[in-house]
Amino acid sequence: MELSDREILHVARLARLRLTADELQPLRQDLNRVLDYVSQLQRLDLDGVEPTLHAANDQAPLREDVEAASLSVAEATKNGPKVAQHMFLVPRIMEGGSDGE
Amino acid sequence: MASKPLWTYEAHTLHDLFCEGAVSAEEIVTSHLARIRAVDASVGAFLYVDEAGAVAEARRQDQWSAAERRERPLSGVPVAVKDNIVTQGMPTTAGSKILGEFVSPYDATVVVKLKQAGAVIIGKTNLDEFAMGSSTEHSALAETRNPWDLSRVPGGSSGGSAAAVAAQLVPLALGSDTGGSIRQPSSYCGIVGMKPTYGRVSRYGLIAFASSLDQIGPMARSIRDARLLYHVIQGADRHDSTALSSAGDRTVSGGPWRIGVPREYFGEGMDAGVRRLTEAALERLRGMGHALVEISLPHTSYAIATYYLIAPAEASSNLSRFDGVRYGMRAEGRDLLTMYEKTRDEGFGAEVKRRILLGTHALSAGYYDAYYLTAQKVRTLIRQDFDKAFQEVDFIVTPTTPDVAFRRGERDDDPIKMYLGDVYTVTANLAGIPGLSMPAGVADGLPVGLQWLAPGLADTALFDAAATLEPQMEPMVWPMGVEA
Amino acid sequence: MSQYQVIIGLEVHVELKTATKLFCGCSAAFGGDPNTHTCPVCLGMPGVLPVINQEAIRLAVRSALALNCTVRAVSKFDRKQYFYPDLPKAYQISQYDQPLGEYGWVTIRGADDAAKKIGVRRVHVEEDAGKLNHLGQRLGDATGSLVDLNRAGVPLIEIVSEPDLRSAEEARLYLTELRAVLSYLDVSDLRMEEGSMRCDANVSLRPEGFAGSLEDLPRVEIKNVNSIRNVQRGIEYEVIRQTELLAAGERIVKETRGFDDATGKTYSQRSKEEANDYRYFPEPDLPPLVLDPQWIADMKRGLPALPDAIRADLVGRGIPEKDAEVLVLDREAYEYWREATALFQDERLVTNWMLSDLSRLINARGESFANSGVRPEGLVELLGLIQAGTLSGRMAKEVLEAMFESGQTASQVVKDKGLSQITDAGAIQSIVDQVLHDNPAVVQDFLSGKEKALAFMVGQVMKQTRGQAKPDLVNQLLRDSIQKNYAASQD
Ligand SMILES: [Zn+2]
Repeated sequence: MELSDREILHVARLARLRLTADELQPLRQDLNRVLDYVSQLQRLDLDGVEPTLHAANDQAPLREDVEAASLSVAEATKNGPKVAQHMFLVPRIMEGGSDGE
Repeated sequence: MASKPLWTYEAHTLHDLFCEGAVSAEEIVTSHLARIRAVDASVGAFLYVDEAGAVAEARRQDQWSAAERRERPLSGVPVAVKDNIVTQGMPTTAGSKILGEFVSPYDATVVVKLKQAGAVIIGKTNLDEFAMGSSTEHSALAETRNPWDLSRVPGGSSGGSAAAVAAQLVPLALGSDTGGSIRQPSSYCGIVGMKPTYGRVSRYGLIAFASSLDQIGPMARSIRDARLLYHVIQGADRHDSTALSSAGDRTVSGGPWRIGVPREYFGEGMDAGVRRLTEAALERLRGMGHALVEISLPHTSYAIATYYLIAPAEASSNLSRFDGVRYGMRAEGRDLLTMYEKTRDEGFGAEVKRRILLGTHALSAGYYDAYYLTAQKVRTLIRQDFDKAFQEVDFIVTPTTPDVAFRRGERDDDPIKMYLGDVYTVTANLAGIPGLSMPAGVADGLPVGLQWLAPGLADTALFDAAATLEPQMEPMVWPMGVEA
Repeated sequence: MSQYQVIIGLEVHVELKTATKLFCGCSAAFGGDPNTHTCPVCLGMPGVLPVINQEAIRLAVRSALALNCTVRAVSKFDRKQYFYPDLPKAYQISQYDQPLGEYGWVTIRGADDAAKKIGVRRVHVEEDAGKLNHLGQRLGDATGSLVDLNRAGVPLIEIVSEPDLRSAEEARLYLTELRAVLSYLDVSDLRMEEGSMRCDANVSLRPEGFAGSLEDLPRVEIKNVNSIRNVQRGIEYEVIRQTELLAAGERIVKETRGFDDATGKTYSQRSKEEANDYRYFPEPDLPPLVLDPQWIADMKRGLPALPDAIRADLVGRGIPEKDAEVLVLDREAYEYWREATALFQDERLVTNWMLSDLSRLINARGESFANSGVRPEGLVELLGLIQAGTLSGRMAKEVLEAMFESGQTASQVVKDKGLSQITDAGAIQSIVDQVLHDNPAVVQDFLSGKEKALAFMVGQVMKQTRGQAKPDLVNQLLRDSIQKNYAASQD
């Protein structure tokens, strides 16, 4: 199940990572080595084995519906890279994705 | 007053001296700050030292009565915090550029507990970016060196905390352990580090790497100190749905014990010094009257592959929030997608990107079953290996790592080789059981770690057991010659 | 053109009426200055973890049970991953393959009155996203957007129907009935204009004789339509659009479309082929949600009367079906009706007055049955005066209007306006005598068998009493007097 450059670029898009041409080659090599390594798991007979979907508690605790203190708007936005009118400002959203740069 | 400098003391001793009024908290703190100033330029353990805050807190505590000092188990004690644990009023970076100038508006639960226990938080320690690595070389912000040999790595990802404790910059530090990130650097730096049972310590405020594997744990120069810190930070938390209440601690008889020695952990590729010191420690245990039982954990060889699917998958999701919108750095772009991609491209380092891509792929349409789900099934087999083993034995003892601290730059380019170094530690994370690394001795000038594993929830018993061996070992002589 | 069958499935999002958000203690109240209902958890700060709000689960279970779903004793949460500025963690905590409720249904009744069961595939719990304010006219030409996270993390249920709906009208009926059911549960404000109820419609056309899975048909999703009426309009448009495309030999593209209220048309937003890989996986920060089966059973027993049962009850009491339907679909009206009929025996009279004059006045004043100035006790007092003969129907209408104007009770209005009906025969007799005397020809007409002539004379008497005479009394007095004084002389 070797990953092609196209597949890696697709995954990178899903993860919102822009890979430069010189990043792509070594990453593809590394990823394919790791994927090759993990393929050993396919050798195991896993019929009837339940996946471990939760690590600790077998039951989620439930919280009472009681209001707790929120942050002040100043605290909430103080780490924002760009803030206007107490809101986080983001660049324009292109529906089809990006018009590139 | 004692003739040795205060920075050489263990935490419980400092606390006692402070409670008795023999020394002030300010003296303790300034002694450690002086040590940091003298040594940390060459060790590079800290990313941030809060001198003013620590001194102010020490002065505040100096006003306390003896009773007030006593009722707080860490009063007067300096503690370092790994920089993937959020702290109000200090930056938190996770060793990454992407957090930028981030200052958390809230304290992690463990930090709240430390403060309530009277700990004086000295600063934040270096780590591999987002705890992804085994050498601390993947920090985007600073280099940390092994105090035993500055040309070598301290291990990782809690390398800053391990180096800080070993170089006696602090007596106690918090680390986090996802696949060995407390135990492996503890082993490389000759200290005690413990990964609790999954759920024993709240993860609220720990910047998530792999949520189902991450645990915060104590690092110290003695088991007694590590246990002290563990008892402060453990317990249920209303902010963490996976944190377990303290009830239901599993006890183990006072001994003699049946100690499991898994044959899969003594295979090829083990450093000769590691093998010699591990076997010597096992002999000591036998000499103490315990029975050594050879056991098998048959799925051990699948652990790394399992881990390197589950951890990146969860990480790819956990790291999506670093998108340049609400906090951290942003690389401007003329539309949203460009901003996202540039921010994450410039903000994340190569190893983080590698794991995000791997994890994204493992969860993507058409691959989920083959990768993520398969790995979670193998995880079940690995858990069952331990369940079965602990029906036969009380504890399992292994080397912590197959090797000793390696040279900086040595494993930069080979991810598989780097990942394989975690082979003895990842199983405890996959199985959710507690593990502890303690010094087994020094081989050719470099420390070797001995790992104890216990059944889930037997955390206290694990400390008790390891503590019986500690006096039987050669006392550690801490590296002093690290001044630049 | 008719060789296609319309296949519609609806996804309805309903915000639950809790005090706090699904996973943190911030207020879930609508509104508030931007980012004032936020904390580290709902801002998606590094290190935060979710803790489930039990009230959200209670409301979700209540909803699922009312929609006839089976509620799982063990369900789990999953992460649905995509990047968008209104989604702070870049994943939404939702439920994927083990939803809270499954296999339910809603019954709709069309014009032919035949009941049809529409399957409810699933009801699951998830968190809402925040709000984007675009700088500019529309998203397309905005220079940027401002993110307000007050709504981020508010609890939602998503109710997914089976693709059982066959027309825009059926979709309307389904949504109307669904909203009615939920309205009796106190689980949500159900305000589509505020976004507390939202609907996405999946529309596809199945060629006659198509035997494959419905999933294989190219499906168009109409997103986030803000009223039931517009869902219907959007589907109507979409059916025509797709039919015409197919007639022209073109292919339907699987895509997401918006609905433009002004033009009544749908427009393409984005094609779904590429970007839509949500990479669901189990939320490792939340252990399974485990519910006690006994508690679920108790919840089911504790459900209030729901539209189907209420309808049957009303019709059984002799309320006309049309009226019953109006009452059932408006919970406030129904509750008004219940309060009124608890105080007043004649349920049909209550119904008639509520659905005609009272409704008209309430609507004209922009009130509702819940906050109308005339409470059920007030209406009942008025109806009592009618029943006792103190007020004629026409007078009562006047009184009701005055009650709205002044806030007075019916008897106060009657007293102030001197409106009470004259029921004393003695007081009317002289007027009756006068009218008979003044209209001999009409009297003769009546005597010769023209019943209508009497109505004229009743009208004359009513006119002279300014409408206050009791009509049937006037009628009786006229007959008696003619009998006594005129019929005899004819002999
Ligand atoms: Zn919040």
